[in-house]
Amino acid sequence: MDTKNLPTLPSVIRKLNSLSDNEKSSIQEMARIVSSDQVLSARILRLANSPSYGFYRVSTITNAMILLGVNVVKSLAIASSIFAVMEKDSVGLWEHSLGVGVAANLIARKLGLPECEEIATAGLLHDIGKVIIRIKCSEAEKDILELAREQQLFATEAEREIIDTDHAEVGGWLSKSWFLPDKLSEPIAFHHEVAKSENYRIKTAVVHIADILIIASGFGHSGDCFVPPIQKIAWDLLKLNEQLITELVNEVEDKLVEVKNFSLEMMSD
Amino acid sequence: MQKIPLRFAKTEMTLARDVFRGNSPSGIPVCGKGTVLTDVLIKRLENMDVQTVYVEGHPVLEEGELSFDDHLRELDGRFIKTLHEPLNAMLYNIYKAHLIKSMGGESDQEAE
Repeated sequence: MDTKNLPTLPSVIRKLNSLSDNEKSSIQEMARIVSSDQVLSARILRLANSPSYGFYRVSTITNAMILLGVNVVKSLAIASSIFAVMEKDSVGLWEHSLGVGVAANLIARKLGLPECEEIATAGLLHDIGKVIIRIKCSEAEKDILELAREQQLFATEAEREIIDTDHAEVGGWLSKSWFLPDKLSEPIAFHHEVAKSENYRIKTAVVHIADILIIASGFGHSGDCFVPPIQKIAWDLLKLNEQLITELVNEVEDKLVEVKNFSLEMMSD
Repeated sequence: MQKIPLRFAKTEMTLARDVFRGNSPSGIPVCGKGTVLTDVLIKRLENMDVQTVYVEGHPVLEEGELSFDDHLRELDGRFIKTLHEPLNAMLYNIYKAHLIKSMGGESDQEAE
């Protein structure tokens, strides 16, 4: 699979990229660019008001940029354009992604980590590679699912067998080619191999644990039928223990009731 | 905890979350969590146009919804590959306990 054929970014995001590189540009200026695309703005606001972020009533793009940060809004623009491509049969993956966003946010808050919104966004986007595989190699994807089911493999193992790469790596390439900051691209690329994350290992660890919690809870369907092993390095890095994780499971499960309703609304658009 | 339409609410059910006027979390709370529902109370909520309430346990089995045993079987299936790992085994037990609590109708007061 070559990277040239990957989906292109909406032009709005390219403009945003160049603006956010420029120190002199203001939030208002950037918000104006996003607002010029009404469909995109509506979707961004929808996501900004999702249970993944704890804010209620983010009503304007400017507000979203101030509350969530430019990086997050940019990623939401990407997430909404990518997920818009997904067919109705991808509801499972969409729900899984939303769930991991929510869980990542709850974990980050519980541990008192900085930049909870960015961690939530990394969670929301962590399986973006799977979407790409589904769009770009739909035939191979069928084989992957079948192989994983037949031989009881994890998704990454089956992907390696069939397309000689895996969704985390694809997601990593993609986030690089879209100029997402490393604090988002590292958790996407290494959520199955936390040790490989060099600069943002804590964020990566949070997404790794969030992914496992959501698969364990059976919420949505990521294509992975089995709970992957919890990586010791992530567990130690976040200083988790039985009590913390029990509280987290209860909080996540509690919140998932809301997510379920939200994702149904989102898909009915 | 389960979210149910108000028409399924029955006496003796316990609210698991505050009920807000107009079902909006930014509205005025009209009934606190932990309240045990009565006929009069349900009637009042109906009059206030409350559509759904969160109740403790899992009292209403919706059509097509999995039973406790089905849920447990699925949970076992998801953990089948990693149950030998100590951390995963711990997580399995936590989810199993949560399942029993949320489906078994036992009180699910949060650890606060």
